[in-house]
Amino acid sequence: MDDPMASTAVAPNAESAPRKAPRVDGRRLRSERTRRLIVEAYMALVRENAQMPTAAQIAERAGYSVRSIFERFPDLTALRVAVTDYAIAEARAHASLRDLDAPRATRIRSQVEQRARTCERWQPLWRVLSMDASQSPDLDQRITVIRQLIVMRMEMMFKPELSAVASSDRRKVVLALEAITAFESWARMRELYALSVDAASAVWVRAIDRLLPATPS
Amino acid sequence: MAEPAQSPAVDGRRLRSERTRRRIIEAYLALLSEDLRVPTSAQIAERAGYSVRSVFERFPDLLSLRIAATDHAFALGSAQAAVRNADGDRSTRIRSQVETRSRTCESWLPLWRALNANQGESAELKLRIRLARELIMKRLELMYRPELSVLDERARKHTLIALEALTDFESWARMRELYGLSIEQGCALWIRIVDRILPPTPAR
Repeated sequence: MDDPMASTAVAPNAESAPRKAPRVDGRRLRSERTRRLIVEAYMALVRENAQMPTAAQIAERAGYSVRSIFERFPDLTALRVAVTDYAIAEARAHASLRDLDAPRATRIRSQVEQRARTCERWQPLWRVLSMDASQSPDLDQRITVIRQLIVMRMEMMFKPELSAVASSDRRKVVLALEAITAFESWARMRELYALSVDAASAVWVRAIDRLLPATPS
Repeated sequence: MAEPAQSPAVDGRRLRSERTRRRIIEAYLALLSEDLRVPTSAQIAERAGYSVRSVFERFPDLLSLRIAATDHAFALGSAQAAVRNADGDRSTRIRSQVETRSRTCESWLPLWRALNANQGESAELKLRIRLARELIMKRLELMYRPELSVLDERARKHTLIALEALTDFESWARMRELYGLSIEQGCALWIRIVDRILPPTPAR
């Protein structure tokens, strides 16, 4: 699988590459900063309005002209792809694996707390990014990568329970775990049922505990 | 008191107008199911076999058309999802509920996605999404009443929310589109999940 971060990524706090002439370096750094500010403006607008921003709104928030945006991104879909790469990089940096060897209840709680934090932070962006994602192969690929990362993490966190069942059953359990802890599931609990973060986490803890097979002794 | 009879000419006009309206809505829904992008007025008009002007004579804007299409879908969806086997045994009720829900998801996923994508633009769309979710919850409560009745209020609410999330449109879409499951495989998975989430059925 290709690395989704390899092409258009604007990594958070990106570090500079090997040095060239100072003048060229300065131009490149300014260009990268501009790119990052545009990406951050996009994310800020999505968090505030829960809607896909227009080029004019992004430009205004970033403090650049609309032309500056399209000098760096050929179209708004390319910008959405860059925003997604940024989000993947930041989410990965903040989602370290903990409690892998802990008892079942601790692992469930740890996984739910981490996933709840991710959903709380990235849900508005997820909603906008995944909208019409199938229209863009690049965006569709990123959505798939995000889902694969979520699944891989659950497979690691619940390895003892999943390893105790046949592979076909394991797949079904993972599918169910993915569905219950999806961004959309979190959004409904928080927005529609007005559950607090703690109450919503409790729903997930209970559901995961019921869905997981017994922990082998 | 008898209502005044309308002349046949007026009746014919009204019927034609209603038929045009319905064809425009059906064209909108057909286009959505073929291409997830929200269709333009020109595409809708072409598919329905009318002019763009005819579309806007019946719907002041595309949002009104989207709302009308949603109401049309709710009416059809409700008719297709009549409650059955509410008094059956546990496995019959789970199977019946899952089959109904899968049919709904299979038929209305494109519209549901379009509604969710555009709900920010209209309080009326938001209201309809909320109503649809309330109906789903009420149905779950009805179908799994025996099992839910053994739980306290908090646990009952949490179980219902989990059941709704697990059998949501997006959950169905993931199984079908991302993991390539057939309808039967998707239903089998949902049956298994629901059975695990529900508490034991109390003895009658």
